[in-house]
Amino acid sequence: MNFSEYVVSRWDTLSLAAAEHVLAVAIAIGVAALVGIGTGLLVHETPKARNASLALSATILTVPSLALLTLLIPLTGLGWGSTLIALTAYALLPIIRNTVTGLNGVDATTVEAGRGMGMSRARVLMKVQLPLAWPLILTGVRVSTQMIIGIAAIAAYVDGPGLGTQIFEGLSRLGSVNALNATLAGTLGIVVIAVLFDLFFYAVRQLTVPRGLRVRH
Amino acid sequence: MFDTETEGARIELRALTKHYPGQPAPAVDNVDLDIPAGELVVFVGPSGCGKTTTMKMINRLVEPTSGEIRIGGKDVLSLQPDELRRHIGYAIQQVGLFPHLTIGQNIGLVPKLLGWPAARIAARVEELLSLVNLEPSLFHDRYPRQLSGGQQQRVGVARALAADPPVMLMDEPFGATDPITREHLQKEFVRLQKRLRKTIIFVTHDFEEAIKLGDRIVVLRERSHIAQYDTPAEILARPADDYVAGFVGQDATLKRLALLRVEDVAPAGPPQQAGLPQVAAGTSLREALDVMIAHGSDRCSSPSGVLTYTALCGAVGTGRPSSPGREPEAVPSLPAPEKVVAGGR
Amino acid sequence: MAADTLTADVLGSEASEGAGVPGAPETAGASGALTAGRARPSRRAARLRLLLTPAAVCAVLAALYAWVSAQDLDSIEQRSLNPSVILTKAAEHLEMTLAATALVVVIAIPLGIVASRSRNRIATPVILTAANLGQAVPCIGLLVLCTFLMGVGFQTALVGLVAYSVLPVLRNTMIGVQQVDPALVEAARGMGMTRGQVLRRVELRLAVPAILAGLRTALVLTVGVATLGAFVAAGGFGELIINGLKLNRMPVTVVGGVLTACIAFLIDWLGALAENVLKPRGL
Repeated sequence: MNFSEYVVSRWDTLSLAAAEHVLAVAIAIGVAALVGIGTGLLVHETPKARNASLALSATILTVPSLALLTLLIPLTGLGWGSTLIALTAYALLPIIRNTVTGLNGVDATTVEAGRGMGMSRARVLMKVQLPLAWPLILTGVRVSTQMIIGIAAIAAYVDGPGLGTQIFEGLSRLGSVNALNATLAGTLGIVVIAVLFDLFFYAVRQLTVPRGLRVRH
Repeated sequence: MFDTETEGARIELRALTKHYPGQPAPAVDNVDLDIPAGELVVFVGPSGCGKTTTMKMINRLVEPTSGEIRIGGKDVLSLQPDELRRHIGYAIQQVGLFPHLTIGQNIGLVPKLLGWPAARIAARVEELLSLVNLEPSLFHDRYPRQLSGGQQQRVGVARALAADPPVMLMDEPFGATDPITREHLQKEFVRLQKRLRKTIIFVTHDFEEAIKLGDRIVVLRERSHIAQYDTPAEILARPADDYVAGFVGQDATLKRLALLRVEDVAPAGPPQQAGLPQVAAGTSLREALDVMIAHGSDRCSSPSGVLTYTALCGAVGTGRPSSPGREPEAVPSLPAPEKVVAGGR
Repeated sequence: MAADTLTADVLGSEASEGAGVPGAPETAGASGALTAGRARPSRRAARLRLLLTPAAVCAVLAALYAWVSAQDLDSIEQRSLNPSVILTKAAEHLEMTLAATALVVVIAIPLGIVASRSRNRIATPVILTAANLGQAVPCIGLLVLCTFLMGVGFQTALVGLVAYSVLPVLRNTMIGVQQVDPALVEAARGMGMTRGQVLRRVELRLAVPAILAGLRTALVLTVGVATLGAFVAAGGFGELIINGLKLNRMPVTVVGGVLTACIAFLIDWLGALAENVLKPRGL
């Protein structure tokens, strides 16, 4: 059975696994974006809180994924729970960091101009700093997404959802007829998902980045 | 908010002090100052002298440690800061236009904060763009990054004027442009202020700019101590001390010539005399002197009469007075200084 | 501390991420915060923090030891959890990580420099896109695919690890060199330096922090991916995790997981030390 035959014959399994993979990543990135951007908005002005949240999320990212996933088993069991928690935790650092960097990177005179015109602090944050930081924040979310799409494959080893199951199936049947096909299907499927997510974020970027930031002289 | 809504309001500073915690000396120390309604007063001094801090206390971007600020009789420190700032125009050197908003949205921001109806905002934006000589149909929907430095500065001034505030604070608003654009913007601004008569505090470290723009000049030394507060002509003629004299520089007389116009000097002959170099009545004495030197003549003719070199010297009090009885330095002092200065423009 | 320095380090690589995206504000913002973030801590605080990671790792290891000692280990568990096995696994793990990193340095940094030259600028977007998407290629998939070509074993894991981290390091090197202020390059050219001299004496020196930051990120990533080496019979701490799961012996899995995390923190800490030592003064 060659690769295309394999894909056709297992289409149901593969598409379900792919859908699960996308779903797990989408949920994790959605939660991480909410938590991360929220944290960034709250901590960006207070150095201590900022450093603490960055340090914490960086610590999480240093823990190898297989280790984190297995260490979660006693707490949250096998499957979706551990997978989602690990993916969300890994996604936090780039998002918090880029949010903080973006908000603080807004030209101080622009902020002062807003304050000088009588905009409240919260208004300057939401109407001036956030839109100006948005491209960088979006980059952070995108980087996180690409990262956790790959990590999600490993989650299959702890009975997590997604295309990683195909890879581990290939691994467990090394030498059998469909081992290579399963591994290829899993790996390539994940790459396809990554490309689709990247296209999605490209579209989001085009739609949400203020036009004034894209124009050039 | 203040006693006048759009006409200039009087600003009074009483014992105004800013002491940053952890610093040995206050940044602004016990400043008393009265700024008459409708005047443009320039704060001039070296960098770090506290002039910007003093100005920023007026719209409370910097909170005073102690002292009092009144605008149009109203105690500024008792007002809600954001509300206060919406009624004070504010323009800074870096302009600080919001890059994600169009020019129209930038200018219309304060009126929007004040809850004006959309139609009124739109009309006001159009009006302001024309006022600062930017064609509304061309610039309304552009973004700040598509504008040159000079155009951005104009938008900055328009934005500060948006809600027609009685008081404007300007921190080197033309500082970041090239000399030619700068001169152009200054001239436009003088014309604008003649019409609008706002009370304006204008911060600069450029004494030339202070002379060109100011109805009065406050020369500041460190900690915002007032070295001299007077009209440009008076400061040029009689600097209070060596510090002020140092600011005025070596060419005080030439600077004073620039403040006077040909028509301000008593004529020594009939108007439009043939055979003499001709200048316009509104020409400054400095330019007239330039014409005389260029033609190797000791006099020139203007629609208001003949101007002689002696009269010119007399006007600034060097050499012999051209018309006996006229004390050229008798520039009216504090109560009504505008005339000579206005003439100088 | 590991966390804190890692923050700065990932920020460095993020600055490059920003640069890869069209639109200047990203890069400007990122570098601005980078300096702001670094200006803060005093020397003494920095030194104290330098000791924090080893201290924390020691504490965790002590706690782990105490916990394992308190367990009633059966014979299967005892076969995995004894000093000689753990030391062997540690050696395998480090060997894999260091060998892979050394190969990445040899391959990616020269290629990155070549790619940064202006005549090769056409390659820039290709490398950026590939590096970005490369991150999404699941490393486990890569390892298993390598197995089909080369069978199981240490070499397979090495190839997989190198393939996984070559692109990020290459990208960081390229961007690090490209990011050097063009005014400095022009000044150097104006002083009469040849292109080669400009590269050696100015561009590469100034790009060192960015290159090191990328390398350190790659090193930490490699420690993590090396855990997966156990799936292709290359040993390492991953083997403890996997065996524990297979045999349903939770203590073995937990020990494997904790040790992997500890080694990652230590490697990151060493990376931070190396970065401090190797960074040119004045930057």
